[in-house]
Amino acid sequence: MGIVDKSSSAENPSPIAGRNWFERMLVSFIEEHTPKCREVVRLLSRSMEVKLPLATRIKIRFHYLICVWCYRYGKQLRALRRFASSLPEHADECGQETLPYSSKERIRQALREKQNK
Amino acid sequence: MKVCRGCRQDLTENLNHVNAGAIAATIPSLWVIYFVSLKEMRSRESVSKVATGASRGVNPECWLCGILKINFRKLGRETNFTDLDFLNDEMSHKFIDQGWRHVQCPVEWESGTEALMDRAEFWMTFRACLSKLPARVADVFMMREMEEMEAAQICQAFRISQNNLWVMLHRARMALRECMELNWFENKP
Repeated sequence: MGIVDKSSSAENPSPIAGRNWFERMLVSFIEEHTPKCREVVRLLSRSMEVKLPLATRIKIRFHYLICVWCYRYGKQLRALRRFASSLPEHADECGQETLPYSSKERIRQALREKQNK
Repeated sequence: MKVCRGCRQDLTENLNHVNAGAIAATIPSLWVIYFVSLKEMRSRESVSKVATGASRGVNPECWLCGILKINFRKLGRETNFTDLDFLNDEMSHKFIDQGWRHVQCPVEWESGTEALMDRAEFWMTFRACLSKLPARVADVFMMREMEEMEAAQICQAFRISQNNLWVMLHRARMALRECMELNWFENKP
């Protein structure tokens, strides 16, 4: 975040950006009680796989208030998922196969091994 | 931390289960250890191991050191909330103590992503980014996101643990996001 220092507050489009005393106190409070950005980023990725505990989800929401970048990151992860899932439909537009041949073969082999077990 | 050799060997043996609580109650220092280890590594195992060690007449401190060392090594391998492995990974330069580095924080992607999806260049960029990922990571990512397989199935197919899968997916997403941002959203062809 680095929002507390004045030089960067201008760049931060978050709703709470530490513009006055009250906001600065609020920001540092939220900063202390929510996970750090590098953890939030990690949790966001995990939230695409499993449902996070309610407390964690609330913490992340609060973190969004002071950190617009993590919010963006989460949005972009969902966009990536959308891109990836519609990649097969657009395979012809790439002018090539969707997947490189080698990785297709590897996936197939992994699946075959699993079925044989 | 010092670990005597005898302890390490003993630890690798199969430990018989004894009533850990009963032994722990008789040795007050074990209670301290119990709470510390509960908090630090959330495992009761180490305590019962200490207790078994104590019951066999091994010096408990020495025994504990060995266990702690082994457990810490395990902790490093597994991916807990803030595992060291991740913090040292190639993307951690994007963060400073107070959050994102300002020059490297995510930029706003343009809102009309639906319109993007009709453009062939976009898909070529996306595919190029995918092919830049390490082979194994890319495989896992594609199985999860394109084939929409269950996490458990992928774990089985690749013989990896679930934590391992999460880390791989996380890295794939981080790298892919970065690549798309640099090659498409910031300087569009």
